[in-house]
Amino acid sequence: MTGGMTARAALLPLLLIAAAMLGLAWGQITVGPAALWHGAVSGEGMGAAMLSTFRGPRVATALGAGAALGIAGGLFQTLFRNPLASPDILGFDSGAALAVVAATAFGLIAPMSLVAAAGGLASAALVGVASYRRGHATPPLTMILVGLGIGFMTSALATFLMTLLPSNEAGEAQRWMTGSLAARSWDHVARIWIPGALLAAALLVRIRLLGALELGSDLAAGLGVGVAAARRGFVAAGVLLAALAVAVAGPVPFVALMSAPLGARLTGARGLVGRMLAAAGAGALILTLSDTIARSALTGTELPAGVLTGLLGAPYLLWRLSREMEGGGL
Amino acid sequence: MKAVLGAALALLLVTAASLALGVRPIGPSDYLDMMLAFDPTNADHVALATVRLPRVLGAIIAGGALGVAGAVLQGITRNPLADPGLLGINAGAAFALLAGGALLGDLDQTRVAMLTFPGAALAALTVFGLAGGLRGDTGPMRLTLAGAALNALLLSLVTGAVLLRRESLDMMRFWVAGSLAPAGSRPLAEMALAAAAGAILALAIAPRIEALSFGHALARGLGIRPGRTQGMALAAVALTTGAAVAVAGPIAFLGLMVPPLARRLVGHRLRMELVTAFLLGGATLLLCDTLGRLVLAPAEVRVGVMTAVIGGPVFIWIARGLRPGAQA
Repeated sequence: MTGGMTARAALLPLLLIAAAMLGLAWGQITVGPAALWHGAVSGEGMGAAMLSTFRGPRVATALGAGAALGIAGGLFQTLFRNPLASPDILGFDSGAALAVVAATAFGLIAPMSLVAAAGGLASAALVGVASYRRGHATPPLTMILVGLGIGFMTSALATFLMTLLPSNEAGEAQRWMTGSLAARSWDHVARIWIPGALLAAALLVRIRLLGALELGSDLAAGLGVGVAAARRGFVAAGVLLAALAVAVAGPVPFVALMSAPLGARLTGARGLVGRMLAAAGAGALILTLSDTIARSALTGTELPAGVLTGLLGAPYLLWRLSREMEGGGL
Repeated sequence: MKAVLGAALALLLVTAASLALGVRPIGPSDYLDMMLAFDPTNADHVALATVRLPRVLGAIIAGGALGVAGAVLQGITRNPLADPGLLGINAGAAFALLAGGALLGDLDQTRVAMLTFPGAALAALTVFGLAGGLRGDTGPMRLTLAGAALNALLLSLVTGAVLLRRESLDMMRFWVAGSLAPAGSRPLAEMALAAAAGAILALAIAPRIEALSFGHALARGLGIRPGRTQGMALAAVALTTGAAVAVAGPIAFLGLMVPPLARRLVGHRLRMELVTAFLLGGATLLLCDTLGRLVLAPAEVRVGVMTAVIGGPVFIWIARGLRPGAQA
């Protein structure tokens, strides 16, 4: 029994290591493990170039952004007790992306992570305000519908802003809007890992509060938790994590939606800390693998990662819907 | 009846305004000149005949068709959030257009445009099948999310295909947000016919759609076969949506906004609603296009962006009034 559990707990880390290795080795040019090892030790040759310049930062960014999206998705799904609640469905990702495109179009000089965070928080506030009705507790489904609407609107605006860009930049922006990890540098790695780790640590410190909220607002209030303030804090943390990921990887669709359920299935984790860690690992796994396959599978063409996560995520969303329908949740 | 006349008047007014307003000021006398004595060497005449007039006609065809499609969809689903754009039916039509153009090479524009109809029909069947709509129990939540998923799936496919072929970001841009700028080069006459056929079909089955809203059992008692009526309704949706996409590309939110407006004017009478939705749809799309041409002149805001900016808040307003958990 214990042996089985340990084996299962080791599965996700092993998959992650394998995905990262695959991401480093496989591509339009395949670099074998021996060459990578040689490059890592000697700092010379193809392996070293791949590690330090081309694929190293790309894989590290994908791992970080995927983990951030995974935690954000798990956080929202726990908070709203609904498997459909995730920053991409709720329109937060496209809000962050709109802010980045707007900043680019109007030539605003500011760190993109801050811009994306501002955009994500603004659209979260908008979703909150627009779905609020005096005297009623907002049902999560209303919030999801309103979020979908805000998402439609912000993506239309971003599309419009892209037409204002010069055509060479517009092509780049289009790629990014799909969710792309092309040409990432160590700077991007720092921008996702450092603030992401800080936010995750903060979340870990307050994890018992999240556990209380998961029991439901009434029970949490009975336990002496300031429900409204605590929820706002967790929503802000989730939005910030998602926005950090959007700033370095674009609004990759459905990673946040799929991560927590996949993580829970892979690890069998029950506790809140375990589920969040599993969500982070699953998010990193999905994004890294998607990016690697999208850029490597077709000779001569590198597709953005978002194309693959979209192809994976849309059927997942449909399957999830049919499950929810059978369960009577919708 | 007064309301229908009012809607027709609105369409006429918007048409006149759209014909007159633009970067190049053109008065009614120029139009008369052009109609009576077309002069191919006169730049004004050529601009009118090849650019502005087709654009106005395209807006009326596409807008009217989407208004009808939205009214039919909202009628058979009893879901105020049903819209060909949000349900992915536009995306299906546009995807068929792109895929056909890419696979078959440079075919005749008109023949490629015909692909929008099977595309729209397939997408409509898919989204309804997935959301359980054909059993007549489609809650707004299911249908909207299934549409969002279908949209995302097709968008990923299109992005991949466009990046693979590397050629035209323009195709992609056309696909993502509808535009009426190239209306002059689209098969307007054929699409007007298709839209009209769809609208007539919708008018013909309107009483049966209304009967379905009392529940399938009752409708059967009235001698109506629900499956057949739904099939014909989806055919009407495919004809109108396909025509609109072939003319203007995918335009979201128009089919969402127009039917409630029409219902407000004529009440819950589906035939009158369809007629009013056609007129108001044309007027609204034309208005959006004209505004889009003027707000940032000489640059243009695509009409698909304009409808999204106006229709987004309408969507949210309707969504927050629903009680999704309770309704489904």
